[in-house]
Amino acid sequence: MHIPDGFISPQTYVPAYIICAGLWWLALRRVRTRLDEETLPYIAVLTALSFVLMMVALPLPGGTTAHASGIALLAVSFGVWTAFLAVSLVLLMQALLFGDGGITALPINALAMGFLGSLTAWLLWRGLRRIQARAALFLAGWMSVLLPALLVALVLGLQPLIAQDDQGRPLFFPFDLAITLPAVLIPHLILGLGEGVLTVFGHHYLTRLRARHAA
Amino acid sequence: MCVKSVLVFLCGLCPMLVQAHDLQYTATQGEATILRLFHADDSSFHFEAYEIYREGDSQPYQLGRTDGQGRIAFLPDQAGRWRLIAFSEDGHGLDIRFTTDAMARLSGLDKPFHERHASLLVGVSLILGLFGILMLFVRRKQRP
Repeated sequence: MHIPDGFISPQTYVPAYIICAGLWWLALRRVRTRLDEETLPYIAVLTALSFVLMMVALPLPGGTTAHASGIALLAVSFGVWTAFLAVSLVLLMQALLFGDGGITALPINALAMGFLGSLTAWLLWRGLRRIQARAALFLAGWMSVLLPALLVALVLGLQPLIAQDDQGRPLFFPFDLAITLPAVLIPHLILGLGEGVLTVFGHHYLTRLRARHAA
Repeated sequence: MCVKSVLVFLCGLCPMLVQAHDLQYTATQGEATILRLFHADDSSFHFEAYEIYREGDSQPYQLGRTDGQGRIAFLPDQAGRWRLIAFSEDGHGLDIRFTTDAMARLSGLDKPFHERHASLLVGVSLILGLFGILMLFVRRKQRP
């Protein structure tokens, strides 16, 4: 899902950077007061896990690849703002070390995966956990992949309309929404199932581990 | 008489018109720079669109799709630095620069800063290191 450099127009990434900067500042203020010695090692390990998961590309039907992210696990365990910052850190390091996701596309990737993904997972978990905790975790994982994928598909598919040369040819990503929506969403529908399972088992294991350490 | 002349002229022109639309071909052997695009799991980036630009040009020098093995055969007309943009419909792709001489010999290519597996370790170490530093700050703040 990482958008590389050269695909996104300045008309898109400049406002995205402004929005993202505001959200990063807000997240830092919120998280700063909540960090303690007990939770920090868990956040560190889950952030490292998220980094590793995003590097492991899984082949999907149709010849494309996708990867799990662990974003929902971070969000349901430590909240939206912590997950947003952790995922932004992962995305920044991937862009700098691997060229996976560009620097110009960083705010789009961070807003989609880091913010929207975390917020979706956290809201679903909070809203549904009293009804059926495992189903809530599964849905949180699944939708934390699907909604960001939808946002990425929209941003990519709108590029031909946003930036064109004198003859109407796209200057950046060339495919429109009719192509990007199915191309991005269908693989992530399948991938999201794996993310859902990862969130259920990951949260179960983490809860037990934290309870054991607290005892 | 005049009509006959025109008909004779048109009949003479017909083979020329047919020839003008007859596609010819030659086959030669030559040197090319081969670029292979692949995903992190080594699966090929096959049948996907790409564009190659001479650095600074806005018109592409070459465009097309990668072959079944994710390869591009590139034949430059002169030495120079080139920009390759490749993209699939689902938003995967890359934007790299490379340099060739006029004989298509590769003399420079953008590379990631580290090899992939080494970077994985570097990345994990950096994350854990950053959180380690953060832990020191949190401890200092929590001390009475």
